[in-house]
Amino acid sequence: MPPVNTDFMPQDGSNDWRDAAHSTGTSIMASEFDGGVVIGADSRTTTGAYIANRVSDKLTRVTDHIYCCRSGSAADTEAIADIVGYHLNFHGMELGEEPSVEVGAAIFKELCYNYRDSLMAGILVAGWDKKKGGQIYSIPIGGMCVRQEVSIGGSGSSYVYGYMDANYKPKMSKEDCVKFVTNTLALAMSRDGSSGGVIRLGIITEEGIERRVVLGNELPKFYEG
Amino acid sequence: MSILAYNGGAMVAMKGENCVAIAADRRFGIQAQTVATNFEKVFEMGPHLFVGLPGLATDTQTVMEKLRFRKNLYELKENRRISPKVFAAMISNMLYEKRFGPFFVEPVVAGLAPDTFEPYICNMDLIGCLNEPSDFVVGGTASAQLYGMCESLWEPNLAPDDLFETISQALINAFDRDAISGWGATVYIVEKDKVTIRNLKTRMD
Amino acid sequence: MSYVLCPEIPEPGFSFENCKRNALLESKGFTTPKAIKTGTTIVGIVYKDGVILGADTRATEDTTVADKNCEKIHFLAPNMYCCGAGTAADTEMTTQMVAAQLELHKLYTNREARVATANQLLKQYLFSYQGYIGAALILGGVDIEGPHLHMIYPHGSSVDLPYATMGSGSLAAISVFELGWKPEMGEEEGIQLVRNAIAAGIFNDLGSGSNVDVCIIRKGVVDYRRTYDEANKKGVRQGSYKFPRGATAVLSTKVVDVEEVSVTPVEAERMDVAAF
Repeated sequence: MPPVNTDFMPQDGSNDWRDAAHSTGTSIMASEFDGGVVIGADSRTTTGAYIANRVSDKLTRVTDHIYCCRSGSAADTEAIADIVGYHLNFHGMELGEEPSVEVGAAIFKELCYNYRDSLMAGILVAGWDKKKGGQIYSIPIGGMCVRQEVSIGGSGSSYVYGYMDANYKPKMSKEDCVKFVTNTLALAMSRDGSSGGVIRLGIITEEGIERRVVLGNELPKFYEG
Repeated sequence: MSILAYNGGAMVAMKGENCVAIAADRRFGIQAQTVATNFEKVFEMGPHLFVGLPGLATDTQTVMEKLRFRKNLYELKENRRISPKVFAAMISNMLYEKRFGPFFVEPVVAGLAPDTFEPYICNMDLIGCLNEPSDFVVGGTASAQLYGMCESLWEPNLAPDDLFETISQALINAFDRDAISGWGATVYIVEKDKVTIRNLKTRMD
Repeated sequence: MSYVLCPEIPEPGFSFENCKRNALLESKGFTTPKAIKTGTTIVGIVYKDGVILGADTRATEDTTVADKNCEKIHFLAPNMYCCGAGTAADTEMTTQMVAAQLELHKLYTNREARVATANQLLKQYLFSYQGYIGAALILGGVDIEGPHLHMIYPHGSSVDLPYATMGSGSLAAISVFELGWKPEMGEEEGIQLVRNAIAAGIFNDLGSGSNVDVCIIRKGVVDYRRTYDEANKKGVRQGSYKFPRGATAVLSTKVVDVEEVSVTPVEAERMDVAAF
């Protein structure tokens, strides 16, 4: 290894962290409770090994009652969310009422499936509508769409499937559900290198969304011996 | 090997006091083989406007013809001479249009503005990124050597005769350290009332 | 195929007509030359009354410094500027094009363009080229909703932040911000912080260098301080290396006299309105 590395700027744009696709190596989660859904995400955005943003918000508004949790390529998921937001806004005006979560998820799915070869996006669509109440739709890479009572996504999710399955209870109270989501995400973030920062939460009910943040020094430590 | 170094060539332009200079070598080669020693890379685009197109020789000529066409069309439409600044912007836009399949030339523009006779020089990369410094610009395979020569030889407010010596010596001594450029040189000194074109005696090896 | 003597009006947008030839040349072992990059440090912060953008002024072509004093803070609109890092031509052309779109948008709507609009135009354009247009941007401006700072990546994602750095010197610069940035900073304090962040890039990153440019955007006023700080003063040359006249051997000389084009101004004739 020479003492001075003159190859300080790889010009091929391939595997350099500065040029690498900006992606949200992520932990995201959504869970139904009695009266709505709780969505949550970590706040780390990485380009390779560099944390490009430590306070990102991966919970993106689509309509007042439909939000999505984004994982995968930041550029792809932002573009999709923008397009779905446009369609739902238009649909809402034609309908004269708030679009249902199911329709929102269907549009997400349509885009993710049709462009499955060029997109890298794993999205959880969550929201509340007056027909079916709180709902969560999981749309993993490839463009499948399935409704789940509770769902996790992103690179951090593999560490906490067991915890999620063991601790989810149907018809939880709001605060129990918030606690459940916070704990699950904290566990995921502690094991996954590309997740971290703070926990951002959203509680979607008939009233709309309530946003909360659990700061890095306030993360639950129940799992520490 | 870079495709820009297929034919070889060196190019430099400098600002002086109420004058500009542009100079280039005269070699045309195919890699190490010298084919001709009377190859022009600097083209007249107006009485006070010159453009040098170092790089791949086929593109030197193609781009020159495209530019001449566009410049003529502009001058017919506007019924006035094109200014060097506008001409540079024209080249820049033309090259950027081919962003994903570029012409292999790195243009150098030198001239005097038609109305004010303000000296103007610029160069750009092969996709048209403009660079308009206040002293000198270089291009071609001997650009590294030319940067060194110009940084030490150039000084502000050179009179036309001094500018000629400076640009000539910068070019000759730069391309003497480059195997694929040289074999004669042409220097254009552009002043308000006249343009002086000199062919230089150089090493022929 | 176009008619030989009368070329067709070209299609708008990028032309790919050389691609096949260039791919052939590349397959024969001739490497494609690299475009000028702005191995850069660019930064931006939000402060009490607006935003401050900062940039170094070095442009590089591989390891050669192609431009020692280039402008990396681009104009977008009277209330908006944009720092560019990455492929120099891409940042220049992309910002120029969006600046034109914003001006048209202003004329259509009779309103000052918003920073969010510029952000959306930039990210949608970059996304449509899937990262092949190598422009990494920091967009700053003040509009009806107050100061905004956006960071836009070449692939088309964007974030809004109170402070941001990009380019090869972003690591050096972000460390200065993480240490020194506070909410509601004063203007002088803010400018100094931006200068320090750029200086950190200039001195610690090989791709960044030369001077510090700063652009302060307040509501209704823009203060663009080109060469705010000359981080590296060049030494004064002691002697002159000027060659004496006649030092260069000349084979032939040709002098072309340029006749001065004489212009006779023609007074505009008054329109005859008597007939009407």
